[in-house]
Parts: sequence; C-alpha cells; structure tokens
Amino acid sequence: MTADLSISAMVSMYALMLLPLAVFFYLQLGLIRDTLLAMVRMTVQLILVGLYLKYIFQLNNSFISLLWVAVMLVVANLSILNKAGLKRGLFFWRSLAGVAGSTLLVGGWFILVAIRPEPFYDARYMVPIIGMILGNCLRSNVLCLERFFSGIRKNEQEFMTYLMLGATLREATRPYLRDAIKAAVNPSIATMATMGIVSLPGMMTGQILGGAMPMAAIKYQIGIMICIFTAMVIAAMVNILLSLPIAFDDHQRLRPEIFSR
Amino acid sequence: MIEFKNITLKVHRQTLLDGANLCIAKGEKVVVRGTSGCGKSSLLKCALGALPLAGGSVRLDGLELSAATVAEIRARIAFVGQEPVLGAESVREALQLPFTFKAHRGNAPTDEQILPLLERLHLSAAILEKPCKHISGGEKQRIAIARALLLNKTVFLADEVTSALDPASKAAVMEELFRPEITLLSVSHDPDWIGQCNRVVGIVNHQLTEENA
Repeated sequence: MTADLSISAMVSMYALMLLPLAVFFYLQLGLIRDTLLAMVRMTVQLILVGLYLKYIFQLNNSFISLLWVAVMLVVANLSILNKAGLKRGLFFWRSLAGVAGSTLLVGGWFILVAIRPEPFYDARYMVPIIGMILGNCLRSNVLCLERFFSGIRKNEQEFMTYLMLGATLREATRPYLRDAIKAAVNPSIATMATMGIVSLPGMMTGQILGGAMPMAAIKYQIGIMICIFTAMVIAAMVNILLSLPIAFDDHQRLRPEIFSR
Repeated sequence: MIEFKNITLKVHRQTLLDGANLCIAKGEKVVVRGTSGCGKSSLLKCALGALPLAGGSVRLDGLELSAATVAEIRARIAFVGQEPVLGAESVREALQLPFTFKAHRGNAPTDEQILPLLERLHLSAAILEKPCKHISGGEKQRIAIARALLLNKTVFLADEVTSALDPASKAAVMEELFRPEITLLSVSHDPDWIGQCNRVVGIVNHQLTEENA
C-alpha cells in the first residue's frame, strides 16, 4: 500500500506553490488569481471524486459506473467546445459522438480484449482507464479543433483558392485537417518517444507506489499509451469530419456564427 | 455571359451595392473602378460565391449561382487577386495543385504544355523548381494566371493583376487575358488596362454605372 500523506505533509505540498506564485507576482503576469482558483477547484474536485470513487468501487455496479462515465464524457465534451471557442448548441451532439465513440471503442478494447477483468464492468478498471483516455482526448481535441478552424479563418483566401481550383469541401479543408491532427498528436509522439527516460508516466508510477510489480505496471502503461494515442486520433478525425456540415454554409463558406468568441 | 441582377451586397453591415445590375457578354472585357472600399473586389468575390448576397442573383451562362451550382460556377471561373495564394511549396506543385483534386485528376499538364505558357508570360523554366515563398508578387500573379489557363478557363475575374508587374510582363499578361475567347471582369486603375477594356463601370451611390474610359 502507498504511504498516506498526513495533513502537515499536504500543507508542505501546498507551500511549494508559493514559489511559482512569487514568480507570477514578480513578473506581474496577472495569473495569481487564476492559479489560486484552479488550485482550489482541483482540490475540491479531487476530494469529491475521491469520496465518490470510493463508493463507486465499493458498489461496483455496472449502471452506476456507466452513469459516471457518461458524466465524464459530457463534461469533457462541454470543456472541449468551450476551450475551442465553438458554440455548444451547434456542436454538442456531433462532438460528443466523436469523443464518446473513440473513448468507448478504445477503452472498451483495452478492458474487454486485453485486461478482461471479472466482472467486465469492474469500476476499478473502467472508471480510471476511461478517465485517462478522456483527459488526453480532451487536450488533443481542443488543440485540433482550435487549430483547424483558426487555420481556415486565418487563411481564408487560400481556402477559397482551393475551392476555385475545383476542390470539394473535404479536399479544400484537408491541409488544415493535416495541420490540426499534427498539432494534436505531436506532443504525444514526443512524450512516447522519451517515456521512461525523460519522464516516468503517472499511471505506472502510481501503480508502483501502490505496490504493483514494475513489469506489470509497464505493460499497463504501454497499453494505456496506445489507447490514448489511438483515441486521440480517432476523436480528432471524427470531430472535424462531423463538424464540416455545420461549420460551412451551402456555398462552402465558413460560418462566422459557429464561434463563441 | 456574367449577369448581376438587382444585387445587394453588404459587408460588415455596410451596404456596398444596393440593387445593382451588370451584364457582361461572352468575350467582353469590363473593368470596374471606384474609390477604395466601394465594393469593387467584393463584386468579384460575390460572383464566385465567396461573399453572400443580401439580395438579387448572379448568373454565369444562364446558370444561377446557388448551393447546387456553386461548385460548377467556380470550376468555370478563374480568379486572380492582387496577392494570389498559390497554396503549395514549389511553383511546379502550385501549377499541379488543381490536378490533385478529384475534379481535374488525370488531366495534369506536361512540361510540354507548361513551358511554352510560362514563356508567353515572361517566366523562365527555372521558376518551376523555386519555392513559392521566394518568388515576387508579380511572378505569383503570372503563375496564378498560368494555372488558370492550364485549366482551360475562359472566364476571368482579375483584381489589380498588373499592379506588381513591369511593363514587359504587363504586356504579356494583357495579351493572354485580352484574347477574344476570354470573358474578363476586372478591377484596375491602370490606364493601359482600362484603355484595352470594352467597357468601364464605376460604383456610384451603391450602383454600377457605365463610365467613359
């Protein structure tokens, strides 16, 4: 078992935050309020999740676990649209289809084909694995959608040139899709390439701290990295392709009203 | 034939054209002039469906611009702007670009077709291997025109295409675009260009009006 952290230990951890806050203060970055707010939110959310997960794991009920996964998917989807600057009302269902489809497909593959827990809906596997895939999909999808639409907005003349030269909407958007997918996956490629040397991944470290054998933890880490990478690419592709009919009007012009800012 | 019928055009809530009409016959060369921001370039863009019309209609050879016809109309029209976007790394790739799209796949031009055209536009064969970002604005304009000619387009919308050209290159471009089979709607302040056009149209009080050259 992992050694628990006492209250005084946690206070010492929070004290570390004084260093970055001092830097922000010195540079007058205006980030102190946002940082403190993010810290408070992180603490409250993790405590609540900790309490909630304790009951979910104890109950180990398939319906409750799936309900929790559904909540995670909806919150992640709203966060993606919000951060990518796209109107929720227009994109919610399409974006949810991309995120949920990819996460459930890849997460389901890992759990049902590779891990095969008993019962298969074991909350101790389902919730954290889906959560890890989803968290990474969220980051990459924000980057991908934002890059895709800002690429077309900034290069409207180039985009129209492709259409003038006979490109279909899919052909004309392809250069921006390529850039967006690259932007979304490049950080993960770099992370995978240096994993184990530059960084020790959180899941593996957590398992080892929790008492798991290092080789078992490594196998899980490899599995989850492949799942994350695959889900990220599928979600990004599906999200962009499903957004095309909404984002462009019937003359293939980008609709300015799709943006929330 | 290009026909603008009773068109109203608004950009950023500002009315540029209000119930304006213009009809350009096949092979005719028309130049539009007017003060900066009066809607000259927007007129060209609305013919391509790049800007939405607030009213009226645009027709090309009787085909009304709509969601169903926009792709076909764009396929027939060539647009060359002041700073054309070539959309590729090298000049050769830029010339081949339209032929990578489904609509033109399989019709990629050979060097035997490209090189004489470049020569007519006062461009050397060596430019083919140059990166697009390293060529001048005038060269970009001529490459964009060459690309449109390789697509056998006969309707040209040209926005100040001679602005960055030396006299010899300008003459070469004018020779290509003023061929009898080409229908040309252009924006220009160049007296030589205006002098070659059949008609001069001005934008006055949000209307398109015939002017003397």
